[in-house]
Amino acid sequence: MKEDLMLDLERKIEKTIYKATLALDENNWSEFFELCDESFTYAITSFSPEINKNMTYFSGDRKELVGLMDMLPKHNTDHSPLHRHTSVYSVDIAEGGKSATAISSVTIYQNMLDGINSHLDSGESRLFVIGKYIDQFSIIDGVPKFTNRETKLDNRRLDKGSHWLL
Amino acid sequence: MDFEAISDAKDAEQSDRGMSEKIAEVPLNPEFIVEQAHIFRNAWVPVCHESELPEPYDFRTASIGSENIIICRAPDGKINALLNVCPHRGMLIERRPQGSFLEGQASGNPKRITCMFHAWQFDMRGNCVYVAREKEGYQERFSKDDAGLRRLRCTVNFGGFVWVNMTDQPVAMLEEWAGPAMQTIENQISAAPLEVVHYHKEYVETGYQAEALQYLNAAKAGALFDYGHCVITGSDLGSGKQDSSARFPDPKSQRVTCVHLFPGYRFELSGPVLNVSVVTPVDRNRIMIEHRGLVPQTESQADREMRSKYYNLSHGPFKTPTTVSGEQSEKSLLSEHYLEEWSMWMGTHPEGLSRINEKSVADQDGDQETNQALTGPHIVVIGASHAGISMADRLRKNGFIGNISIFDRQVGGPMERPPLSKGFLLGGGETVESKSLLRQKKWYKANKVKLKTQSVVHKINRDNKTITVNNGDVVKYDKLVIASGAVPKELPSSKGIGNAFVLRQPADANAIRQAANNSDSVVIIGGGYIGLEVAASLRKKGMDITVIEAGERILARVASKPLAEYLNKLHEDNGVTVITNVGVEGINQEAGIFNNVTLSDGRVIKGDMLITGIGVYPDSQLASDAGLETQFDNGGAILVDNDMRTSDEDIFAIGDVAIRREQTIAVESVHNAQETAAIAAASITGANRPNTQTPWFWSDQYDAKLQSVGIVPVQDENVYQVERLGKRDGAVSFWSYRGDELVAVEVINDPATYMEARQCLDTRRFPDPKQIGKPSYSPVDSGGSRS
Repeated sequence: MKEDLMLDLERKIEKTIYKATLALDENNWSEFFELCDESFTYAITSFSPEINKNMTYFSGDRKELVGLMDMLPKHNTDHSPLHRHTSVYSVDIAEGGKSATAISSVTIYQNMLDGINSHLDSGESRLFVIGKYIDQFSIIDGVPKFTNRETKLDNRRLDKGSHWLL
Repeated sequence: MDFEAISDAKDAEQSDRGMSEKIAEVPLNPEFIVEQAHIFRNAWVPVCHESELPEPYDFRTASIGSENIIICRAPDGKINALLNVCPHRGMLIERRPQGSFLEGQASGNPKRITCMFHAWQFDMRGNCVYVAREKEGYQERFSKDDAGLRRLRCTVNFGGFVWVNMTDQPVAMLEEWAGPAMQTIENQISAAPLEVVHYHKEYVETGYQAEALQYLNAAKAGALFDYGHCVITGSDLGSGKQDSSARFPDPKSQRVTCVHLFPGYRFELSGPVLNVSVVTPVDRNRIMIEHRGLVPQTESQADREMRSKYYNLSHGPFKTPTTVSGEQSEKSLLSEHYLEEWSMWMGTHPEGLSRINEKSVADQDGDQETNQALTGPHIVVIGASHAGISMADRLRKNGFIGNISIFDRQVGGPMERPPLSKGFLLGGGETVESKSLLRQKKWYKANKVKLKTQSVVHKINRDNKTITVNNGDVVKYDKLVIASGAVPKELPSSKGIGNAFVLRQPADANAIRQAANNSDSVVIIGGGYIGLEVAASLRKKGMDITVIEAGERILARVASKPLAEYLNKLHEDNGVTVITNVGVEGINQEAGIFNNVTLSDGRVIKGDMLITGIGVYPDSQLASDAGLETQFDNGGAILVDNDMRTSDEDIFAIGDVAIRREQTIAVESVHNAQETAAIAAASITGANRPNTQTPWFWSDQYDAKLQSVGIVPVQDENVYQVERLGKRDGAVSFWSYRGDELVAVEVINDPATYMEARQCLDTRRFPDPKQIGKPSYSPVDSGGSRS
């Protein structure tokens, strides 16, 4: 593959990751899913040095995720908005240009809204979680789509918060 | 100052800076400090699971009551808990959450726990094996043999959890403390080796007590256990009923059972996974909860993935949030039980009960009297049964103004026993329970009766007239009344099997009620009143019931044949299968849970639950150990005279545990409890002996209310029954005669006839047996013969 095409694809993939970040920050799930392939799968994982094991905290395919997001309005949940800071560190495009893997660093802040005492807490921003996005893409007609995202957290301490896609 | 001291000063300045800052952050809330000292430093804590340190030299760190501890596996595989503090200068030794000492570290040799401050080294049992500059620094003044890491009480139990207790003298050993509650899930969590596959922590801005109470109030009802524990059986997952036999570790399990241990540990069997949540208070209003998800160590990849997914959705940090509900949880009996326990640890119990210190004080001082403050005579009652409470009541009514103390092994306020096999099994929880209290709390206060619950009397010392209680108290008595009641008989083969029950105490009834919520069918062994009442109650819940009676008919020992036939038909009409004249060959389990009964004729009766109601035996071991005369050399009821006095003139026995010397048949009834209490109270106080009544008894089954008066001599072939129909539909009575003498009457749904029958027997007025069958004949007004 020509270098300029590679660079173009890399830029498109970076742009897709950043668009996904904005969509997720705005809880715009449909816009996020538009960036995903039909075969999209998602997982939140972590390694626990406490028990010396890799763990999966959350997983689902596209259908399950859509169903979960649709149910959100009916759930008790914290409404504090999350703000993601994403930096794409590497993009590796497979030979043939049909798929790619990207690794990004992500830091997620929680802007407090309805904490234990919103009178005191609302408006404050707290560090929520840190970790990496490990993304897999399919590339069809030069358009990258997420096929898999692993949000690999460093956190094992996870307090009250927003339990949706990070 | 030698070199080490200079080095210490510099190191301490640097190394402790972080510590000092942390200490400065710790809020010195007095209540928090007291709670840590009283509760968390005295309670058993499940600090981790054995799978978190699978190999020799593996370790895990934790903290209890602000103390750092280290849990490590010795070369022989044994797990030890040690204080994670160097005895040299008090430095924290190991800072990682988990790891292995097998390989050497930057500041430590292989296979050693090494303090980075001055390189003192310890083995996996805490023995000090190396002191830097031992000879040069200390000469003969100190040796490594004099040092070691503080070793803590540690045991592995209940599904492989590592339990640690910070105190040398725990309130109770782990088995006693948590065993009865954990037994409800023990067979399941010990059926296969487990491992922790999920772990996360959660900080919550609340107190540990508030967090527990919120959970217990939401649960509303459950079975109560000693030491503030309870067991809550939740609704099945999904429809639940399609595979009701599957139980954890079976991946198809849909059942939910939560053991909530005081002060805040949950062992939750949740379908295919075990979720264990352990609370660690950080401050008065801040707690850290550790959540662990456990599954069998060995299983297929597909099963593991299924369990993991289920755990994530129901217990993981990104679980599905709860649905919106406006329902506010009200205070439940579970939370009252929790709070009573809490007050016993914190020294705020209204009756002065305490969990801590007393035992150790008693152990140090020997058999000391702890009730020296009492003035006046002291009557001690063992057992807050119907008889025991009636005793206290009658003593006060007879004008006794001395001290009355009742010691009872049960949790919570003494309760009526008859409702336990009836409405209690159907009720939702607290309403039925609170209505079933023998006396409300204010009664004890008003009558100056000291009730000491959860107090097991271990010993009667007749020489110095004292009893010894499980908390170490030695209590002096002037008169002792044993009202310890009776213990249900169990079939040896049903002991220790999950979902196999007997019924005597409120906790038994609670456990049956909880199990019934998750069961479709029950096998009841024993066609006596208890078995039949339970059958009627559970049948109302829609369960399939089979009653197995070894005798030729149900109620063969206690009721007339016509009444037994009436009740047999009543049960069959209500859909209960009654099998008589057949023995039980075997009680069979599957994965530790009751599965079926094999009968002597080869039939196999399946069921989700087993309830054994084959009678009781007097709880007389204490009396027997004290040398009091009992029916048999090895037990039986305590023999008493007509004043209910035992072979010791200062000790009385009443209720189910006692039998008069000339009495041939033991009568276990509320009437007997009350009457024997009244007789003993009169004897102690010198009051007039109460008039004796003809024994009476009642039972509710479906819509039939049975009242009986007199004892039917079922073995007497000369006794016959005459049936008498009542004025209302469904009213019928069976009059038992020996010749022309009326001996007993059993009445169904006819209170007026019951009163007449009772009047006849109390006054020994015998209606004509040839006429009594006619509804127009009045048994009272007709004159009849007199004895």
